[in-house]
Parts: sequence; structure tokens; C-alpha cells
Amino acid sequence: MALQGESAGQAIAVDGLTKVFGDKRAVDGISFEVERAEVFGFLGPNGAGKTTTIKMLTTLLPPSSGRARLLGFDLRTEGRKIRERIGVVQQQDSFDQGLSAETSMDVYGLIWDVPRAERRRRIDELVDQFGMGEFRKKPTIDLSAGQRRRLQVAREFIHDMDLLFLDEPTVGLDPIARRGVLDFLKVKVKEGLTIFFTTHLLDEAEYLCDRIAVINQGKVVEVDTPANLKRRFGSAKAVEFRFDVKEPAPLLQGLQAMEGVSKASLDQPTGTFRVSTMRPEKVIPEIYRFADRESLEVSSIYVAETTLEDAFISLVREDDSAKVRGE
Amino acid sequence: MNVNVYLRLTYRNLRANLDPISLFFELIFPVFFIFGQGPALSGSVAPIDIGGGKLISYALFLAAGAVTLTVINSGTNAGTQLWYDRKNGMFEQVLMGPFTRAQYLLSIVFATLMIGIASSLLVFALALPVLGGGVAMGAEGIALTGISLFFGTLFFGGLALALSVALRSSETFQIVSQFAFFIFLFTSTIFFPANNAPEIIKAISLLNPLTYATDIFRAGLFGSSTPFLSVEIVALAAEAVAMFFVAVLSFRRIRL
Repeated sequence: MALQGESAGQAIAVDGLTKVFGDKRAVDGISFEVERAEVFGFLGPNGAGKTTTIKMLTTLLPPSSGRARLLGFDLRTEGRKIRERIGVVQQQDSFDQGLSAETSMDVYGLIWDVPRAERRRRIDELVDQFGMGEFRKKPTIDLSAGQRRRLQVAREFIHDMDLLFLDEPTVGLDPIARRGVLDFLKVKVKEGLTIFFTTHLLDEAEYLCDRIAVINQGKVVEVDTPANLKRRFGSAKAVEFRFDVKEPAPLLQGLQAMEGVSKASLDQPTGTFRVSTMRPEKVIPEIYRFADRESLEVSSIYVAETTLEDAFISLVREDDSAKVRGE
Repeated sequence: MNVNVYLRLTYRNLRANLDPISLFFELIFPVFFIFGQGPALSGSVAPIDIGGGKLISYALFLAAGAVTLTVINSGTNAGTQLWYDRKNGMFEQVLMGPFTRAQYLLSIVFATLMIGIASSLLVFALALPVLGGGVAMGAEGIALTGISLFFGTLFFGGLALALSVALRSSETFQIVSQFAFFIFLFTSTIFFPANNAPEIIKAISLLNPLTYATDIFRAGLFGSSTPFLSVEIVALAAEAVAMFFVAVLSFRRIRL
């Protein structure tokens, strides 16, 4: 039976899904829909209920209440059919320690009943796509965390699927490998794959996701496109600037203490400071006064676009405050 | 029953979770008893009555016991397979694939039985020069040795699975399983007949499935028989099935 509002084009339809552990409601009546060939971001602070939601949707944990349909199948009664059409990259490592990277992909393909010739073809393709050539023969136990992560993501593409769950898939990857993975995922989405994606790296969520749900304390507090979330909740602006100084790090504390600045950070490689503020017109003169006091020159300064991170922080804080007030 | 699923998962268990070096040393252990301890003590231990008035040398007695020793070693592998999968995240990964918990569990049992039977045959082949003309196996003997190895491996596989569910730390799992298997080993009839042992050990050995497995195996191998043989077969089968259900119940309670 279809859920309320569910349509044939939806990959996931969730209605009031809840998971209770003892007296804790880890996931508290969440509802949302994910369209086919969409990248759906599922963001939230630590312990918000992201992984528990994924475990329920992948049939690993039974829900305490609520309903869900994935790819048209009922979560409670058609788990096996769902698992035949999904892929999962877990947050935790998963690897066969007795095998090499290549053999572990082969054995994984075998348990998914992928024919041998097809496995060989896909392994070569994935090794190339994920830059695993240098360690394809290495035992998985000897791989670095980043190499193992690449293998774990690549391995999931050895079998066919319609829906892929990615729980923080780029943890431990360097920026180049990370971008490579994200671009590979974009290609797969164009080919029709639906992705359910969690991450703490908001720039990558913005890069990849068509829509984002923000979950906080077990409840979905907002679902919208990244652009709309920024527009609606990203009231803070970012001012980015550089000083002509060899050692910029000691200045960070002074900038953080500046009136009107909610957060200050330094990008070490470029020496660029970034401060978040609601009032850039007040903060920019303060930055020049600060430079005068420290006998520094401001070499560049500009107001940057609001980031998804600003919007996310503002949204979660707003929700926390509302919960404290009992709204 | 989709046989193909079991074959694929069993193959994975055999490839991914078994350490060839550990398997090698599991074979070395019985080989030491067959070619070391047995012949060394054979001169100082009187021939042993294994039932029906049949006397065999201590070397033969221990060589047969050493073959049943493989059921303990193989059983340990069942726990190790599950333990590694849980530690390395493959347990959840497999269960999020098109498999059921029962299929996953049975694939471990099948892999364990395959290792158990292969190891026993190998140790048996190695022991043949010692066993020599003492072996008197007909169809009934083959059936008895098969029953012994099958249910023995099932019991210890079930025990190891239950322990690996209960014990999450590698060190604890190793120590507790080794201690438990040590107790089973030394209160069994692998090394000496129970009727010569102190009363307390004799009492424990009467409940010990390894005693049954060893007695049944010797009966099959040497064509001997005791009035208790059929009781021992029923007891071993009952204990193995009970332990398998304990393993299933523990397995169902694994938190994900």
C-alpha cells in the first residue's frame, strides 16, 4: 500500500519513522521523500539520528513505529527485495582482512552473484576510476585509512543497484580523492542512481546534493535545496581577507575576540582569514583598525557568499533554542 | 532453499576469514600427538581396552584421539569467522545485502563443517602410518566416524559462535575460548580413558561431547563397541543440536 503523498517516481517515501532505544527516541517520527536519480543529503550534528535512520532504511534495524517504502517495496515486509536493489557504504570501515584489495572486490561481487567476466571488467574500471592501481594487490589489512575508504566506496559499485546509501563516504580521503569520488557519484546519478548521502563536510553536501534534510535530536527540522537553505537560514556573511605577515596564526585569537564576529578561522596554506558575521559593514572597518594596531597591511579583503555551513549552524542552533523554550 | 546463496557465502567465509598460518598450526597440533607423544609414551602405558575386549596400543589410542581433536580446532574457526566479520564491519555489510541472517549463519556453519571434515581427513591420512593395520572400518565404521566428526564440529562451532557473540574484545575471546576448549580437551577421552581418571574428571567426562565424539570415532575406526555407544551417539547429537540453537539464539541477539 502506497504511503500518503508517495508517487511512482520516488525512491524513498518515509512516514513517521521512529526508533526508540530504551527511553531515548533516537529517531522521532521523521517523514520525507526522495525522488529517483536525486542526491538527497541527510545532515545533522553528531548523535542526531542519521546513522540510525540509515540502519532502519537498509533493513538492519527494525523501526519502532512509522512506515517507509523504498523503490516501491515496504520496509517492514519486503526487506529482502529492498536489499537486492540497494548499495550501502557504511560510516564504519568494512573490509575482508584476509584478502587483497582486488580480491576483496571480486569476492564481494561474487556474493552479489555478478558473473565472473563482468566482475573482472568492473574491477578494472573501478581500480582506474578510484586511483587504486598502486594498491590493488595489497592486502586490505595493510591499506591506509584513505585507501581502505576508497576501496569501500569502489567495491559497492561492483554490483548493480538503484539506490545507494553513503554514510560519510569521504572521511579520511585527501581533497583530490574526495573530489574524484564526488565526481564519480555525479556521473552515476546522471545514469539514474539515487543517492542518500550523509556527511559533516558541508561544502561537499553543497557540491553534490539536490536537496538536503537537516535532522536534529531525532527530528527532521528542514528539507530544501542547498541554495534555499542558505537563503533562508544563512543570515551570517563571511569576510575573507589576508594580512602581509609571515606568521598569521597568532592573530586568530584577536580576530575571534572582535565585536560582531561569531567565528574566525584561518586557511593555513593560503594564509586567508575567514570571519563569520551578521554585520560585515561594521566588521570590515574593525579589521582595518586591528591591522593598524598590529602594524599590518591588509592585502586583500572581500565579503564572501553565505555558506551552507553557516546556514546549517544557524538552523540547528535555532532548533535547539526552540526545543529549550519548549516550542 | 537457494543453494547458490549458501555456496557463495560459504566460499566467501573460506576465502576471507581463514588464516592459512592458523590452519597450518591447527594441523601441527594433532600431528605432534600422533608422531610425538603417542609413540613416546606407548612403551610406558599398557594397552588400552576400548570396548568389547579390544586392546590397542597407546600410540593407536592417541592417534585416533588426535583426529577428533580437529573438531575443536575447526569449531574455533566458526567463532573466528563471525568475530572477524563483526570487527571489520563485514557482518553488517553482508546483512545489508540480499541475504538473511539465517543464510549468513548457516554459511559459517557450512564453512566450519568443510574445514572440520577436510582437516580430519588430512590428519587421518597423516596418522595412517601409525594407525596401520589397527584400522578395521566397514560401512558402519565410516558412518560412526562421520557422525562423530559432524556432530563434534557442530557442537564446538556452535560454542565458538556463542562465545564470539558474547565477547567483543579479541583478547577476551581468545583467552576464554582457549580456556573453555582446554577444559573440554583434558576432561575428554582423547588422551586417556575416563575409567582411569579421578572421580571428578570421570564425572565431567561423562557429560563432555568431546568424550562422546572420541569414543564414537574410535569405535568406528577400530570396529570396537561398548554397551554405551548408542547412548553416546544420541547424547552427542542432542548436545550438538542444543549448542547450535544456543548459537542461533545468541546470534539473533547481536545488536547492530
